Amino acid sequence: MRANPEVLILEDDAETLDELQSHFTRKRFHPLGARSASRALSLLENNRYSSRPVLAIIDWDLGKAPDRNASSGDVLSRLAHELRECPVIVYSQNIDAFNVRSQIQRSHPRALLHDKRDGDASLLERIDRMLDRTVGDLRIHDGTVVVHLPTLDQHHHREAIRLVVHHPDIVTFHSDTATKAVRRFGEWLHTHNSAVRLVSHGNRKYRLSVTATEVAAPEREA
Amino acid sequence: MVGVTSASWLLGVRAPDRGRAILVVTGDGELAVAVREVVPGGIAVIRDARSDDADEICAACLPWPWMVVGTVASLTPGLAVVLRNRPVLTYWLGDPPSGLPSHARWFERPAALLQAVRGACTADVGGMRLAPGNGVELDDGTLMRGATLESLVSAYPFGFALPARNFRAASDALSRHNPEWVAQRDGAARMTLVRADIEAQR
Repeated sequence: MRANPEVLILEDDAETLDELQSHFTRKRFHPLGARSASRALSLLENNRYSSRPVLAIIDWDLGKAPDRNASSGDVLSRLAHELRECPVIVYSQNIDAFNVRSQIQRSHPRALLHDKRDGDASLLERIDRMLDRTVGDLRIHDGTVVVHLPTLDQHHHREAIRLVVHHPDIVTFHSDTATKAVRRFGEWLHTHNSAVRLVSHGNRKYRLSVTATEVAAPEREA
Repeated sequence: MVGVTSASWLLGVRAPDRGRAILVVTGDGELAVAVREVVPGGIAVIRDARSDDADEICAACLPWPWMVVGTVASLTPGLAVVLRNRPVLTYWLGDPPSGLPSHARWFERPAALLQAVRGACTADVGGMRLAPGNGVELDDGTLMRGATLESLVSAYPFGFALPARNFRAASDALSRHNPEWVAQRDGAARMTLVRADIEAQR
C-alpha cells in the first residue's frame, strides 16, 4: 500500500495540470493527473482495487482535452457512484450559471463548486484549507498525518485523514481493514482526551464530532 | 465535450445513498440550485430531479427522501406513493398538484419556501437536532437513528397525516433516549412531537 494518499486531478490545460500536480507532490500527496475525462476514468478504473483518492479536483470545461470520448460529467458520475466518500471540487468559468450548477449537481450531488475566474491561487488556497484542516484539537499535517495539537502526538493512517478531511460528513469505509483502522483511531482520540470523538452510524459509516464548546463552523461551500 | 454526462442513467444523482436527501423536482433545476444555497453544510444532499427521472431518483434516496421540494404541475406515480405513505416533508412552490398529502405545505414565493427549508434543517425541538448525514442528535451527543424521528423533529410544530403505526420506531427511540417528548396526534389529527407532560394533561 502506498503511504501517500492519492488525489485525482482532471485538468485539460497542461500547464495548470503541472502546477496542480507539483502542488500536491510538495504536500506529499500522490497526484493522479489526467488531461481528458477518458484518461481520468482509466485512472479510476486502474486504481479501483488499490486505492481510493482522498480528493478529486475536476475542471468542468474540457475544451483543450486531447480526446473527447468522455465528459467531466461522466467522471463526476463515476465518482458519485463508486467513490461517494471522496470529496470533489469542480471548477468552471461559468459556475454562476444555474444550468451549469444544475448539471454538476445532477452528475455529483455532493460536489463542491469553485469559480475558475478567481484564479489558480484561489483554488490552491481552498484545497489547502480542506487538506490542512483543523478539526477541534486535531490538524492534518502534510497530508499524511493527523496531529493531536495539545500533545503533538501523531496518528498515521489514511482513513483517519479521510475522516478529518470529511468532517462533519459521514464517511463509509469499505473493508474490515479500514473499519479496524477507524476504530483504532477512535480509541486513539479517547486515550488522548481529544475534543473530537468518533461517532458510528452503523454499517461501516463513521463521522467525527467535536464537543460543543470547541465546534468550528462547518465550511459552507459555494 | 463539455461537462454534460452522455448517459443519463449513469448520472450520479441516481446513485443509491442513505444520507439525508432533499429531492427537488423541477423543470429546469433552478430551484434545486437555490435550495442548495440555504442548506447548511453536511445536513442534507440535494438531489436535482426532472419529472422524467423523479421516480428513479426518489427510489435511490434510502430509505426515502427526507424532504421533497417541487414546482412541477403533476406528481409522478412513484413519488406520489412515497409522499402518501412516508413522513416526507413536502414543500411546493405555486399551485400544488393533485395527489399531494394534506400535510404538504405550499408557498407562493421562492423566498418563503427557502426560509422553510432552512428552518427544517436547523430545527431544535427540546434539544433534538438533525445530526450531519442522518439521525437526530441530543445535547449530550447521543445519536438517535431513524428517518421518521428526523421528519418529526424537522417538521415541528407541524406534523404528518399518516397512521400512528408509521411512528412506532420514533416513539421507541424517544422513550429510550428522550422521554420528555412523545409522538402523538395534534389538534389537526397529524402525528407530531408533543411534550410528554402536556400530553399527560390532555
